[in-house]
Amino acid sequence: MDNNEKRTIRISPVTRIEGHARITIQLDEKGEVENAQFHVNEFRGFEKFCEGRMYTEMPVITPRICGICPISHSIASVKACEMIQGLEPSYTGDLLRRLIHLGQNISSHALSFFHLSSPDFLLGYDSDPALRNIIGVAQKFPDIAKRGIRLRQFGQEISERITGKKIHIMGIAPGGMAFPLSEENRQALQVWIPEAKMTVQTGISIIKKYMEENKEMVESFANSPSLYMGMVGPDGEGELYDGKLRFIDEEGNILQDQLDPARYLEFIAERSVEWSFLKYPYYRPLGFEKGFYRVGPLARLNVASRMKTTLAQQEFLEFKKIGNGKPVHGTFYFHYARLIEALCNVEEAEQLLANPAITSNDIQTHGRWNHPEGIGCCEAPRGTLFHHYKTDPSGKLISVNLLIATGQNNPSMNRSITEVARQYVKGSDVKEGMLNRVESAIRCYDPCLSCSTHAMGQMPMQVEVVDAEGKILYQVERG
Amino acid sequence: MTTITIQVNGKQLATEPDKTILEVCRANDIEILTMCHLKGVMDVGACRLCLVEIEGINKLLSACTTKVAANMVIRTDTERIKKYQRITTELFFAERNHVCSVCVANGKCELQQLGYKVGMDHIRYPFLYPKCELDSSHAWYVIDHNRCIMCTRCVRVCNEVEGAHNWDVMNRGTQVRVISDFNSPWGESVTCTSCGKCVHACPTGAIWPKAIVQGQLEKKPGIINELVEKRKMKL
Repeated sequence: MDNNEKRTIRISPVTRIEGHARITIQLDEKGEVENAQFHVNEFRGFEKFCEGRMYTEMPVITPRICGICPISHSIASVKACEMIQGLEPSYTGDLLRRLIHLGQNISSHALSFFHLSSPDFLLGYDSDPALRNIIGVAQKFPDIAKRGIRLRQFGQEISERITGKKIHIMGIAPGGMAFPLSEENRQALQVWIPEAKMTVQTGISIIKKYMEENKEMVESFANSPSLYMGMVGPDGEGELYDGKLRFIDEEGNILQDQLDPARYLEFIAERSVEWSFLKYPYYRPLGFEKGFYRVGPLARLNVASRMKTTLAQQEFLEFKKIGNGKPVHGTFYFHYARLIEALCNVEEAEQLLANPAITSNDIQTHGRWNHPEGIGCCEAPRGTLFHHYKTDPSGKLISVNLLIATGQNNPSMNRSITEVARQYVKGSDVKEGMLNRVESAIRCYDPCLSCSTHAMGQMPMQVEVVDAEGKILYQVERG
Repeated sequence: MTTITIQVNGKQLATEPDKTILEVCRANDIEILTMCHLKGVMDVGACRLCLVEIEGINKLLSACTTKVAANMVIRTDTERIKKYQRITTELFFAERNHVCSVCVANGKCELQQLGYKVGMDHIRYPFLYPKCELDSSHAWYVIDHNRCIMCTRCVRVCNEVEGAHNWDVMNRGTQVRVISDFNSPWGESVTCTSCGKCVHACPTGAIWPKAIVQGQLEKKPGIINELVEKRKMKL
């Protein structure tokens, strides 16, 4: 494929997540790492093939982008639809959507930590790769593995109890929800809360122990500063479902606050690169490179002034101590942030389930096409997600733009793997442990492209070591 | 009233001569698969799912358009018939762009149910992936030709029950399409009364109300026959 062909494909408006990744590490004449690049070479095409469809179909089509965060897509999408209709969801419909969204976040964070990342902390980065997975954890620490699996089950059961399906649910509709929550199902979900809280706290103790024992590695692991963006509530509290955006700089100064997500194009720009289907988004006022920002659990905790719930707030204060009041830049702290957030999610789910209005049958308001354009935004497990639709007067989509969390973390993921590669790769002698550390830098971000291999805890990944003349010296493949 | 006797799957049945094989079988709880049949409107034998074997006739005949005759020996359950039903179902799916997972009719679709009934676990024919348009110009309803199986139930109900004849059919073969008026956007139709009968008649997610999302679609094809019967009543 020549360069012209590549350019042609790259110009197409594509959604570029999930699936296979490739990392190229560029060495200089001395054999030192000069650069590392993270390639996502999949073409999804959602933005293109959704053109011509009815906007009301989008809350069902777009969740198919991902099997881990489908509800976030559905919610961002339904908010865009509601903007098109000029409609507010019903109170109970809003509560139910919020609850389902929390369930997905709990499930996704449980998967990321217990299934994918805990093998590194519990078994060691250099342990036998054949056992360094959830099966290996289940053999050595059966109780922890079981708890992790059950935490994920709890998250998915929230969706199932409301809509009848665990993953690609139906029923998130403009104006609220299509299905109510029965009293029986509300009680069944409440039973889970104590166990879920305990499991998240177990996870927090595992990560804290690891951070204490490996302080040097944790602090030096891909720790270059960046900007952060996340959703916050009216008082600056961490928010996932419905809030405004906040940008902070490397020092923690607030660059933008209470920014309406509908104005995202004023503050976020994207640029394509030659070697990946993932675009490079950046904070527009600071320009390319200087404006690289991160999203996701670490970013959300960095931008938040406080957490919404008691136990999570206690952990949040400890988290803030790491940065001495400034943002925590170490990529490794994504894991810690993810668990603090999961704790907050479980507590918030408890509060929602205790609200008598949650079982009301007043679940949906109704509207028709009123505005040509709609923008929806929410915090997916991996970061801020935007759906932007333009329609013709009959409600048919003429333009779709999806700005996905993994895409926004892309510049930082590249920066992180470069840092990790510089730290651990010397010359062309590549050890398996090095591959795992580079992989783990990517795993910190828990990108959507790892969806394809969540079951086995490994990504299908290829690492190439290339000399100054572009010759491949060493190649390791996985998947 | 004349009574005749026919045999279906080895069972003797007494019936009237002006009935179709489909009517007799359904009245006697003998299952025959259909897609284009809609009680209350004329049968056209378009879908070819209701094919039956009749002793003495070499070719298969459609049960919805073939009248019973005295001493007719009919089989509805042979391997040959099942094979053809499976082929027909697969061809429905291969001809247009059916994606159940994102379809508004998911879980409420007669075509989807048919797939389950004939045990369709895969499709052996190459998909045609035709470029079909979605017409959302009507204020309340949408027609998506990607999901149309050309059963023409909408055409017949519009013509025979509503009397509007907004819907008709153009072209032949894979190019065949349901059209509104003389192939104009549905929203510009001068004949459509916006009654919604075509929405209820449509067996798939091809015609649906705009405000509805997946999980909310409720089609009531039974109301068509109810209307027809009520109109026959003398007040």
